[in-house]
Amino acid sequence: MKKILLMLSTLITCAFTAQAKLNVVATLPDFGSLAREIGGDKVNVTVLAKPTEDSHFVDARPSFVVSLRNADALIDGGAELELGWLPPLLQNTRNPKIEIGKPGRVQASQGIHLMNVPTNVTRAAGDVHALGNPHFTVDPIIAKAIAQHIAQSFSALDPVNAAFYEGNYKKFEATINAKLQEWGTALLPFKGQHVVAYHDSWPYFAHRFGLNIDIFLEPKPGIPPSPSHLAEVIAQMRAQHIKAIIVEPFHDRRIAEKVASATGAKVVEFSQFPGGLPGTDSYVKLIDTLVSRLAAALK
Amino acid sequence: MWEVMFWPIVACILLPWLLVYLGLHVVQRGIIFIDIAMAQMASLGICLAVLFHLDLQGWATFGIALGFTLIGAAIFSLTGKRSSQIPQEAVIGISYVVAAAAAVLLLSRAAEGDEEIKNMLVGNILLVTPHEVWKCFALFVAVGVFHFLLRKNFLLVSFDRDGAYQKGLRVRWWDFFFYAAFGLVVTSFVRIAGVLLVFSYLIVPAVCGINLAQRTTNRLLIGWFIALVGGVAGLFLSYWWDLPSGAAIVCTFGALLILVSLLAFCRNRFQRLDDTP
Repeated sequence: MKKILLMLSTLITCAFTAQAKLNVVATLPDFGSLAREIGGDKVNVTVLAKPTEDSHFVDARPSFVVSLRNADALIDGGAELELGWLPPLLQNTRNPKIEIGKPGRVQASQGIHLMNVPTNVTRAAGDVHALGNPHFTVDPIIAKAIAQHIAQSFSALDPVNAAFYEGNYKKFEATINAKLQEWGTALLPFKGQHVVAYHDSWPYFAHRFGLNIDIFLEPKPGIPPSPSHLAEVIAQMRAQHIKAIIVEPFHDRRIAEKVASATGAKVVEFSQFPGGLPGTDSYVKLIDTLVSRLAAALK
Repeated sequence: MWEVMFWPIVACILLPWLLVYLGLHVVQRGIIFIDIAMAQMASLGICLAVLFHLDLQGWATFGIALGFTLIGAAIFSLTGKRSSQIPQEAVIGISYVVAAAAAVLLLSRAAEGDEEIKNMLVGNILLVTPHEVWKCFALFVAVGVFHFLLRKNFLLVSFDRDGAYQKGLRVRWWDFFFYAAFGLVVTSFVRIAGVLLVFSYLIVPAVCGINLAQRTTNRLLIGWFIALVGGVAGLFLSYWWDLPSGAAIVCTFGALLILVSLLAFCRNRFQRLDDTP
């Protein structure tokens, strides 16, 4: 009898703990990494896009629909970055727990002041996102805000562990605050310098660390580089002695290398997503890598 | 799994029959890449709509895309001469590359969100909605009835062109009707399932049918069977191994075609052995 009771009680605790783990889906690896910082072992995090994938275009697989259906929480950018692939997925999911406005839905851009909001929304300026530039997580201060938002959502969904989530947020906040000093010092010598990027993904990073990443290999966001535009960029780079060109894993590196060889600049491989570069499995490690790579190239 | 795969499976059961039938025509005429050229014409039309800032989901956009498809139909029916030095496939290939390049040029000026256009033009079979499936099915039934009622002439024009000329048919007009209906079918299926899948549904079942049978009816039945098995099996594989669904179906078709070819090869060998005394 005792044995049976013991077995039953272990079974029940197992079932209970299994149930207690929140199923969290993050559209992009940066949100997934923040969710892991906050949720620790109390959540299962599923990330849809791969870190090396272009987050504008992601191919849906059956498991995406399954994990969205079973999700207790969904973290997305909320600023149209996933416009091309998330809405059709959600249309197929119909999970009331992750609808907009529910505690299970974290839209990372909420409460964040987005940069480069177009004044009139025609698409004549290129693949401009109507709500503003959606590549905001690479600013550590914005990442803190998103992490806090995630902690609030987890606490609302799982009040028993609210103190745990809150504690993890405090830890993350402290780490970022300490690291910000370090990163700021590393990039301080290059304050005000211009850097070229393939795509306009870095205004928040540039703003945080006092750089100007405002010349792009793409003539307009999402439009492949044209010869005359590249010639213009090369002229600008020579005139301003620009030393670095930022590319991401899914960009055509050869174009950047062509421009680099014409100007003597260095091609710096960047990623917006933890895991997109070797040795960057957490958010803090990612920013560490970005800062040290850029500092090395600008030296 | 049903809640995720139900509508894709329904789509793979309800829709391909017409593609398989049209595929027999296409393979017989030797114009394998016509579907991709037609789909590219339609997307060129949509790029033009983007340039004029039209609503991408609206009727005007649909009208322009349809107009471009009809232009394509006109080009292909005018160039399909009875005895020409230039093969039809060359015209099709040229139309494809020019339409694709023109789309790149238009987009570099218009610069609509690339992902929106891609999303609109190239669907994902995994994410079909019931509404899309029924809309496409209704269109396919309409085109199917059209083809069924006029089957004698359509078959004659595709399978026995000389006979069609001798009978005094206006082959060019029949070609035009064929291409126009074909363009409508292909572009609407591309929006549900993507380019790769359209191509495989048109060509692979038809080739399997031709491998195994002589009469058109038998070829059609074999093609339908292959399309059904390949589509549903591909979807199951895509679920079990978590693969992109369209690509999984295409590769299943590839495997089925290899099986069928082996079967046909063995059968021919045995028949020849039987024939020799």
